[in-house]
Amino acid sequence: MKPGLYEIAARQAMTRRRLMQGVAALGGAVAMNGMALRPAAAQDNLRAEILKIPGVGAGSPTDADWQKVGEMCLGPTKANVAEGEFAGIELTFMGLNNQNLHNVLFRGFLKPWEAYTGAKINWIDLAQADYNPRLQQAIATGTVDFDIIEMGAPFEGDTAGKGLLDPMPDWVKDQIESDDLVAYLQPPVGTWDGKTYRITIDGDCHTLSYRKDYFGDGAIGGAEMPKHWEDVNAMSMAVKGQTDPLTGLPAYGFLDPLKGWGGFGFYFLEDRASAYAKHPSSPAWLFEPDTMKPMVNNPAWVQAIQDVMDLNAAGAYPADQINADPGATGFQQFLAGTGAAITWWGDIGSNARTSDTSVVGDVVGFDINPGAKRVYNHAAGAWEETENFAPNLAYLGWGVYVTNRVSGDEAKRKAAWSAAAHLGGKDISLWMAAYPSGFQPYRNSHFNFDEWEGAGYDRAFVEDYLGSNRDSYNHPNAAIEPRIPGIFQYYSVAEDELAKGFAGQYGSAQETADAIAAAWEKITDQIGRDSQIALYKASLGM
Amino acid sequence: MNTGDLLHVVTNDNISPARAGFGRAILWGSVGLFLLVGLLQTLQAGGHLELGFTNWRPTLYSYALMSACLCWAQVLIRGEQGKRVLFVLPAVLFVLSLAIIPLIFGLIIAFSDWNLSSPLGRQFNGLDNVRQMWGDPFYWNALKNMVWYALAILAEYTIAFGLALLLNAEIRARKFFRVAFLLPLMLSPVAVSWMIGKSMTEIRFGPIARLARALGWDNPSFFGTPEMARATIMLMDAWTYIPFMMIMLLAGLQAIPKELQEAAKVDGAKGWRAFWEVTFPLMLPVSVTALLIRLIFKLKLADIIINVTSGGPGGATDSVTSFIFREYRDRSNVGYGTLLAIVYLVFIIIAMLGLLKLADRWLRPQT
Repeated sequence: MKPGLYEIAARQAMTRRRLMQGVAALGGAVAMNGMALRPAAAQDNLRAEILKIPGVGAGSPTDADWQKVGEMCLGPTKANVAEGEFAGIELTFMGLNNQNLHNVLFRGFLKPWEAYTGAKINWIDLAQADYNPRLQQAIATGTVDFDIIEMGAPFEGDTAGKGLLDPMPDWVKDQIESDDLVAYLQPPVGTWDGKTYRITIDGDCHTLSYRKDYFGDGAIGGAEMPKHWEDVNAMSMAVKGQTDPLTGLPAYGFLDPLKGWGGFGFYFLEDRASAYAKHPSSPAWLFEPDTMKPMVNNPAWVQAIQDVMDLNAAGAYPADQINADPGATGFQQFLAGTGAAITWWGDIGSNARTSDTSVVGDVVGFDINPGAKRVYNHAAGAWEETENFAPNLAYLGWGVYVTNRVSGDEAKRKAAWSAAAHLGGKDISLWMAAYPSGFQPYRNSHFNFDEWEGAGYDRAFVEDYLGSNRDSYNHPNAAIEPRIPGIFQYYSVAEDELAKGFAGQYGSAQETADAIAAAWEKITDQIGRDSQIALYKASLGM
Repeated sequence: MNTGDLLHVVTNDNISPARAGFGRAILWGSVGLFLLVGLLQTLQAGGHLELGFTNWRPTLYSYALMSACLCWAQVLIRGEQGKRVLFVLPAVLFVLSLAIIPLIFGLIIAFSDWNLSSPLGRQFNGLDNVRQMWGDPFYWNALKNMVWYALAILAEYTIAFGLALLLNAEIRARKFFRVAFLLPLMLSPVAVSWMIGKSMTEIRFGPIARLARALGWDNPSFFGTPEMARATIMLMDAWTYIPFMMIMLLAGLQAIPKELQEAAKVDGAKGWRAFWEVTFPLMLPVSVTALLIRLIFKLKLADIIINVTSGGPGGATDSVTSFIFREYRDRSNVGYGTLLAIVYLVFIIIAMLGLLKLADRWLRPQT
């Protein structure tokens, strides 16, 4: 769970009346079902019990809470591992320490696991900015010094693609109940050449956040938030020169971040492009799978770039938008009351009502990313005049992986996978989704809103916000991240070329797209075209 | 009996053949060990042998041992002469180990195709990186920007000189102003980036934007066009570092003997003429030093750019360092990034040597 979302709930702490309602409902259910449903009830009871630690509205969880949850969720571990089985084994775990979450929580969760199994875990904590260089240098210099790693799916190309990971044993799949993962996190995500490597602990996607007060009868943005990019642009043009209904300042429509963000800014052009470029007939939308020839300069991508250039040329963005990165667009602009809509990760939703600088908490709504009224069929080389939606599943969330350092030692291997499986367990994951952990919901079972409401969350907000995530995850034409080595190199150079295009240094959107394609070709040649083709196909499950 | 330099050597070294022999033994023994370990590890790295080395630390340790033995052997073999060598030798070894050898490694990497994501690892690619650099508009654009940034130093110098003159004069609250003018220098450029670049120039609520609106600029934009963005970056950098030049110039002004200025006054030189004919020439050595040090700081300009504009819009504000940062860190392109850094280093060395030569020529008549 993103910390901000938790804070929303904390403000709406469970009242005594609601608690009594819950108790009455629970009592009624027990009376009706009697003893016959005891195992299922025990499972439900565990989930309800862990959600009470420390309790929504009872302050931020502490290390004692994490240990308690870890202890209560040890059941699946005990089913597969005997007490003291890993005595004498030491493992090294590398992960993040952002916002004092991630590894900091894992320590608490794994303390009871260490006590039960006898294993000892040593920790390597990294800041987000240090993560990629540390990982890449460890790989490049052959100094991988960790047995378990918290890692994003985009890095699977750099690790699994180079044979650095250990394939997941079948017993782990059963323990973590991987069938429960939302559709888009099912294989091929987490797999490489048919082998599974990842225990998913997070989900990621971009969704649409929009201002409800811009839309409705007599509102400046029209009757409702447009569903297609063509109409989003028309809306942006239409509100130009009008007054924002909330702040009284100049109104703006959709906000595109026009400045790079270490590669992460390219996801935002993807939000537009996926609707035009991600044809339902193929999972590929960035490169041609057989040649790695970039698709980024095909008419669909050029249309997406042109859309942004049109708004820029029309002055439909705030001044200085050319210097606005995604962080500024999301937090300094949208949450502060500038603009009718943006696409972003879940952070915007979780901050809308809790951040001190947010003024849009009462007027924010969520949806999946806009679609397009036509889609480009790259294989046929022609536009098709059919509506197309393709939510951008940007980054694919965090997972826990085991490296091949343990592959030669069966006991150590089992210990590493057991620790990872403990963190990716079904019940513990609900707690992580519902309390501040740095992770978003990623299992179908996380979208049982009754559990959230029972824990004290506001039903309407959770349904709207989490619903947009769920619908993106499970969309049949969702645009999947290509998990190939160096993917952020492609994104980073694309940002540079886009910035030049948006600054008017290229003659057209096509020229800008061609420059990106040329730069991507260079990267592909440098990393190795044949290996990239093989890894790209593997990552798409082709 | 030592018959060497009897004038400077104060002790009479009686170095026995055994002691000298031991010295030579540890010296050549450690050199041999270093070469042997290095050779074995190189053979293993090349796939010719499998000796179970997991890293290059054995070579490093044998290098450290060789260095220690080299120092010790000087004393054992050469007595007091050796002790005198020890005043310099550790420093030489230090420079060799931490500057020269890494530079050689840097050169090897610079002529390699080494993308950290490539499964092939580092591959020697001759002059390919040089050719790529030659045709890389981003790099030349960044170099061109550096020329603009460097030229801005002249304006900064003028302002700094003016402020130094002001603080050198008998004005009220002089001590307060000295401290106040120094404050920007005490701020981290990253803090300046966020404080000014992200907050004060924020177009809706930023106080500078509000002031601009109050002054009649309807739609203020500080980073909207390449020229404006570059100028804003220059201003932020100048705001941070003008105090540095100012304090150096102030120190120079205070070191000028009062008698010279009083004599000039007696001779009828006042105001501008006294400044231009007396103060400015006397300040030339300090000025040149301040300008050169400021230039060195300026050539490293990156933090403000990375934080505020990421080089944009369209590379208009990129410095060479900020561009190399993106190439190296964001794109893991170690080989090419290193070459760009080495070439930049060469440019800097040539430029600085040229400037020092010129400064020497300018200053000669005055000194």
